[in-house]
Amino acid sequence: MSGEERKVVVVPCSGIGKTYGTVSREAAYEVVEDARPGSTGLVALSLLVLGDEDARAAVRAHPAVTIDGCKLACAAKMVQESGGHVTQGIAVLDVYRRNRELKPQGIAELNEGGQRLAHAVAAEITAVVDDILAEQEGSTHA
Amino acid sequence: MPDYLETTVDKFIFRVATDRLYSPEGAWALADGDRVRIGITDFLQQLNGDVAFAEVKAEGTAVAAGDEVATIETIKANVEVPSPVRGTVVEVNPAMELSPEAINQDPYGDGWLAVIEATDWPADRDALLDPQAYFEVMRAQAEEEAKKL
Repeated sequence: MSGEERKVVVVPCSGIGKTYGTVSREAAYEVVEDARPGSTGLVALSLLVLGDEDARAAVRAHPAVTIDGCKLACAAKMVQESGGHVTQGIAVLDVYRRNRELKPQGIAELNEGGQRLAHAVAAEITAVVDDILAEQEGSTHA
Repeated sequence: MPDYLETTVDKFIFRVATDRLYSPEGAWALADGDRVRIGITDFLQQLNGDVAFAEVKAEGTAVAAGDEVATIETIKANVEVPSPVRGTVVEVNPAMELSPEAINQDPYGDGWLAVIEATDWPADRDALLDPQAYFEVMRAQAEEEAKKL
């Protein structure tokens, strides 16, 4: 299995104009750009909505971790609609419920609570990504 | 299961249970003798979005009609819920502690907030709206909100 095949795709919700949407995107950027840049890739929800073939192929070929800001769960639904499999869906609200001190505010720019919440979400995603990759590694060597 | 009045405004469907009374602010009251179960309406929960936390006044707390009896923190706002009746909180829905999303999922059922032992239910009852009257108030509020979209 090549390095490319071991990628996990991260799909954050679009939630434009919504604080929790901003948190989901910030968390996704942190995972893909800082925490696990070599083993994760970002797929834009808007491309899935448009039916972009590259985006659809990415979620079909790789385990997907979705991040949703509200119960509409657009990211998870669009991955499934695109023929992909949501290996793990993360709801920002659930993370906030476990970290009440991290009250997010702001849209274009998150307050400190929002930034810390995004970091907490990113940490959960990173742990999920590591689990997925470890499982893949284990099955490769089995 | 109660029956509902239902209206569609923009893409949203709002329901009003026909077995209880309402305050114009969107709190409902369902009486069993002097024990009055309270909660918020389908419109109010949809207007404010997913619930993160719900804090209800503790058992034993005395409230006047219009006093804040609960604060609901959602992804959009902090909603102060005015009590529709005067009395004493005698029961708080335990679901509010661990799964306040019940307010979104079932606002007229599992998402109830508290039971209040009413001091003068007949007087409070007269001040509340029947389902049809609240339905009209709610529809006007919903149409006003829809203009902001």
